[in-house]
Amino acid sequence: MKQRLQLIIIVTTLVVVGLSSAIYKHYSLGFSFLPSESIRTWTVESAITFTANDGPVEMIFNLPNTSDNIAVLDMSSIDSGYTFELMENQAKWSREQAKGAQKIFFRATVSSLKGGQDLVPSSFKPYARELKEPATTAANNIIAEVEKRLENRTNSPLIKSETIKSETITKAIYLLTALNNTESPDTNVLISEAKFFPTKANLAATVLNKAGIKARPVRGINLVRDQNNASLDTYIEIVDNNKLVLLNPTTAQPESRETFLSWQIDDEPLLDLIGGSGGKVAISILGGRMAAERAAVLHGHQSGSVLIDFSIYSLPIKDQNTFKLLLLIPIGALVVVVLRNLIGIPTSGTFMPILIALVFLQTKLIAGLVLFITVVGVGLVLRSYLSHLNLLLVPRISAVLVFVIIIYVAISVGSHKLGIAGGMQVTFFPMIIISWTIERMSVLWEEEGPRDVFKQGGGSLFAASLIYFAMSNSYLKHLTFSFPELLLVVLAIIIMIGSYSGYRLTELRRFEPLARGE
Amino acid sequence: MFFVSPAKLRKAGVVGMNGRNVQLIARNNRRSLYPLVDNKVKTKEILAKAGISAPKLLGVVHHQGNIRELEDFLQKHQAFVIKPAKGSGGKGILVVSSHTDGEYTKASGETIGLRSLQRHSSNILSGLYSLGGANDVAMIEEMVHFSDTFDGFSFQGVPDIRIIVYKGFPVMAMTRLSTKASDGKANLHQGAVGVGLDLQTGQALRAVQFDRPVSHHPDTGVALQTFEVPLWSDFLLLASRCYEITSLGYLGVDIVLDKLKGPMVLELNARPGLAIQIANGSGLQPRVDAIDAMQSLVISNLSAHERAEHSMEHLSKV
Repeated sequence: MKQRLQLIIIVTTLVVVGLSSAIYKHYSLGFSFLPSESIRTWTVESAITFTANDGPVEMIFNLPNTSDNIAVLDMSSIDSGYTFELMENQAKWSREQAKGAQKIFFRATVSSLKGGQDLVPSSFKPYARELKEPATTAANNIIAEVEKRLENRTNSPLIKSETIKSETITKAIYLLTALNNTESPDTNVLISEAKFFPTKANLAATVLNKAGIKARPVRGINLVRDQNNASLDTYIEIVDNNKLVLLNPTTAQPESRETFLSWQIDDEPLLDLIGGSGGKVAISILGGRMAAERAAVLHGHQSGSVLIDFSIYSLPIKDQNTFKLLLLIPIGALVVVVLRNLIGIPTSGTFMPILIALVFLQTKLIAGLVLFITVVGVGLVLRSYLSHLNLLLVPRISAVLVFVIIIYVAISVGSHKLGIAGGMQVTFFPMIIISWTIERMSVLWEEEGPRDVFKQGGGSLFAASLIYFAMSNSYLKHLTFSFPELLLVVLAIIIMIGSYSGYRLTELRRFEPLARGE
Repeated sequence: MFFVSPAKLRKAGVVGMNGRNVQLIARNNRRSLYPLVDNKVKTKEILAKAGISAPKLLGVVHHQGNIRELEDFLQKHQAFVIKPAKGSGGKGILVVSSHTDGEYTKASGETIGLRSLQRHSSNILSGLYSLGGANDVAMIEEMVHFSDTFDGFSFQGVPDIRIIVYKGFPVMAMTRLSTKASDGKANLHQGAVGVGLDLQTGQALRAVQFDRPVSHHPDTGVALQTFEVPLWSDFLLLASRCYEITSLGYLGVDIVLDKLKGPMVLELNARPGLAIQIANGSGLQPRVDAIDAMQSLVISNLSAHERAEHSMEHLSKV
């Protein structure tokens, strides 16, 4: 009884300490019990190429802009021998001496921001240049015509979609439509005038401003899909009721700003090269996701809390990832304990299923199962030959280890030749564990027969699959990582099961005839 | 019904695996005592010291150097068994029934040369048959001349009697008969027939194969109800005496019947399994409880003989 009391005290202490510190962290330090959502991110990589003129080189590259919807989190340069300098809105590379073809990679991680209000930035300046005759008259004609049409519109029934748009947007749309109408002589006059402007969009912005709409041209990328050769497209931003609206000048329709990364505003040059020629920029986009907390930390929203300094969050990201996995292993152990002591499923090797599950995390479940069964199956066939030779234990396992490596090579090379991706993943399986598994199963086969091998093998794979699901569960992942103190609770449960002397689930079946006899 | 409720099992007094490990083994068997039964050389020594009947230990091959002496040594012994001291599941046991001029005749009738015999011993030493592959020693013990009482009850081999001894009291007994289905092995979950034995009489209570009752041996056709152990009280006495020499509170004793020398202890087991409950058609718990209800002072004053008698009289009906 004394032992029992001790057990109860230990278990209660562990549960109380674990749970209370988790609850404290939740309420006082603001750690969420639910996994924080991940947000969409994109890695935008610009490959800048040019030819240097055998002398000092200076290159200035315009940077993408953080807006209300998109945040630029992280910028880095991959170059050789250049001095890289980040300035406001621009990045500068310089080098004393360079000759021939040069290549510089500039990588930026951008993320979408939740609840962007499309607010007009304080730096917003309308783009308006003086127009010369006859362009002034042509522009006035177009504006007058549009305004007349707008007046008529109030009297006539209109398409639904247009009615919900504000007056300013409708006017801008009408104006842009008119500017695209090449049959109108006024438009043609304006188009011939466009050569005095950097782009047609600049001219369009000027006309819009003339009509009383605050507008500016902007070049940027629509982050809709992964692209290897993304182009900077030209759009027009207008101010409507203190909100920024993005218009596509060719279709004359509004576009979503949620995925729009603006890069060049007004006349900003993309690349400014001194001491070189033939500067070219190729932009590629790769989408991804990032934990919201991490994005917040990078974005500088996180208020350097002292309390967070005492959590795993204070470690470098690389080390955090190690702990992410380590902290999940007790969950795997708990699953093994439950399966063996409460349910009564036999597994070959106590913790082998956990190691197999760790591999499944990398290969994904189905591929992992197929690879495991193939390797162990072939291994068993080869090992059965060794049985006839009556080898000693250590040389025997070593021989199996060599077999396993040969099987790995065969699967990798074979699947590569057949064009099946994923065969290489076989190397994720820990060779020593696989060798021991084959050895143990082979001995089991000889001593107890194939029935027991399938029972144990099946039990092990079932356990490994369950552990895989537990370990890849985002909720459990978040809990173990953000609340490592909950491991004390896991420990308490394991200790409790350790002292459980009741029946296992499978015994309810095994001893069923005994209960019937009563 | 496929599953049964835990309450029904508890009522039937069935001990589960967790219950066995926590209540029977962990509380009654001290770890430090395990080597006594896990190493058969040590078991033999304590059995011999206490004068408990067991196959005599003829010699031990301790290291490879001894193997050269084997031939001379074996001249003195006509029938013998070579087996690993820490073997499990009957692996590595070589039975030689007779030999002449370096030709050794195995129990199966096959003959092997001295070379094979030496290699077998060498394999035992290097741990080929032992748990975990640890280095081992090879024991040479005298061969049991099995009584023909149990002829026809087993498909291959000769059955032994397994008696569970709790705190010195025999609490349950059975015998395992190998079948074609079990491939000659005496393992119940592989298809051997388990026959529960009445503690009072040593007669068959019931027989099961694959956990289901059977009346006749599936291969030999013998009516299993006729199975009866002669000299039953000697078996029980032998089993309960093993408690004193091992101090293991939960102990499995395997006993064989020799033609001339009567019952002999073949092996001891510190972690006997639970299939014996199925063979007996009843749970261990009520018998364990009956022993636990006795005053420990009373128990310690009882002789092995008195304990065996107590079991015969009181436990068979519990």
